[in-house]
Amino acid sequence: MKVAVCVKHAVDETELKLDQGGRPVLGGAAGKMSTFDKNAVEEALRLKSKHQGEVAVFMVGTADSKKTMKEALAMGADRGVLVSADPAAIDTFRTAEVLAAAIRRSGPYDVVICSEGSSDTYSGQVPPMLGELLGVPYVGYARKIEVSGQSAKIERSLEDSVETVESPLPLAVSVVSEINEPRYPTLIQIMQAGKKPIEELAADAVAPAGGYRQVSVPSMSSQPSTRKHVMIEGTPEEAAAKLVDALVKEGVLK
Amino acid sequence: MKAVWVYSESDAVSNEVASAAVDVAKGAGAEVQVLELGAQRPGVFASGGKLLLKGPPSSPTPGAAAEAIARAARELQPIAILTGATRTGREVASRLAAKLRIGCIAEVSKLGADGESIFGERNVFAGKAVARVSCPFPAAATVKVGAYPRLAGGNGGLQEKDVGAVSDPVKVVAREAKSAGAVDLKSAKVIVSAGRGVKKKEDLAILEELAKEMHGALGCSRPLSADLGWLPEEHHIGLTGVTVKPELYLAVGISGQLQHVAGMKDSKVVASINTDKDAPIFQASDYGVVGDLYQVVPAIRKALAARA
Repeated sequence: MKVAVCVKHAVDETELKLDQGGRPVLGGAAGKMSTFDKNAVEEALRLKSKHQGEVAVFMVGTADSKKTMKEALAMGADRGVLVSADPAAIDTFRTAEVLAAAIRRSGPYDVVICSEGSSDTYSGQVPPMLGELLGVPYVGYARKIEVSGQSAKIERSLEDSVETVESPLPLAVSVVSEINEPRYPTLIQIMQAGKKPIEELAADAVAPAGGYRQVSVPSMSSQPSTRKHVMIEGTPEEAAAKLVDALVKEGVLK
Repeated sequence: MKAVWVYSESDAVSNEVASAAVDVAKGAGAEVQVLELGAQRPGVFASGGKLLLKGPPSSPTPGAAAEAIARAARELQPIAILTGATRTGREVASRLAAKLRIGCIAEVSKLGADGESIFGERNVFAGKAVARVSCPFPAAATVKVGAYPRLAGGNGGLQEKDVGAVSDPVKVVAREAKSAGAVDLKSAKVIVSAGRGVKKKEDLAILEELAKEMHGALGCSRPLSADLGWLPEEHHIGLTGVTVKPELYLAVGISGQLQHVAGMKDSKVVASINTDKDAPIFQASDYGVVGDLYQVVPAIRKALAARA
């Protein structure tokens, strides 16, 4: 079985700094593998261990985002394809377009896996767009995937229900983080990851841009905090009594 | 006449998105049309008119819904297509955008438009910043759930359009409601939420009791449902879980990762209890108590009982 998994080198929101005007400082901001992408890589590896085959990692990024690709390889993926473009400068459709072209170029794959959304922008658009652009069936928000023969049985986790669906392969799927517990690479795996092949492609070479007008981000600002930040002191009993009083005064506790 | 289309698989969400669409239509000099697929939906309201697409099933998969809407859009050329940012709505809008090769703005509130573009605001970086996003027409958008009041009436005129039969290679074989009797966190006025500070699964009982005494519901941070499995996943409040805005959110033993705060930051009043005075949850709180939940929670229960 050939499995493609897509990962993103996301802005590390916990390290992100705001400038004096409250705008996020994205130039030089620390990055990391998008949190939920670890679940996508883990699921790809589980499919491989069950059905043999290979796992290829696809990523749109700049040279300094290679550590995320290497992390996926250290977890156990076999090879990587890095399409060079600045993810912050292209929108979701363009991202899906170049990923689809890169996947098609090195495929075909039986299963294409993404996480449900990235931890930095969380639009959840690239996975379904990818399914469309690859022209394969698409199943979103999978919490369980079972492949047998040329079809897959998948549990989708929706807001208030769980849907079981069946789909022929090849297919594209997005997974929720409840699907598995991602593994940590060992030191030896991390060292070996450096020897695994990473193919580098230019975005415009795999999919020429054009015929489409992108989403833009005219401005960003910090989230205004209107919280009171009152710290309540005292023994547990004193603090509890003061807290209850404060909440009753706020009118939120009867 | 230029049109702004609205579609949601949920009546309630469709009525919210229809409110958002009014602002877009006003800015762009267009009219709103609310879509119904396969069959009429009496619970779906429209301030302008409705457009019934005939051909798809009445409860289509996201793939079939996107295909039906795309066929109609190629012919009728709406300037914008809005869905709710539910799991299904995100998929429908994204697939439509890919089919039509148009841009899609995500999770937006405060929507508007001028003659050329649609715009809105959205949270990014797990709620650390707000981004203003914009896309030239024609465009798609997913509208943040809960950001707009629900249209409560109005039906306008009904138009029909036959788009032909649509099918999806993905077949639904079963559907099960998430745990019967599950708390409805979305409508709870008070939420007591548990985090890693709770040492054992059994200890959740005291928080459940506290929630009951406050006439509220019990939620949790991601580790408790996803990693430890102590509570079903529909209790998980956060970026990838449920988004809530109760009158009172009481975070107990929750450190306050941005992903968690993203799911509760619209709460009216936030109070938190944590042993670590530097825990980020205090930055997102109106009232904070530095202390051991195993001492503070029983004391709160005692204080509540004394009031009763």
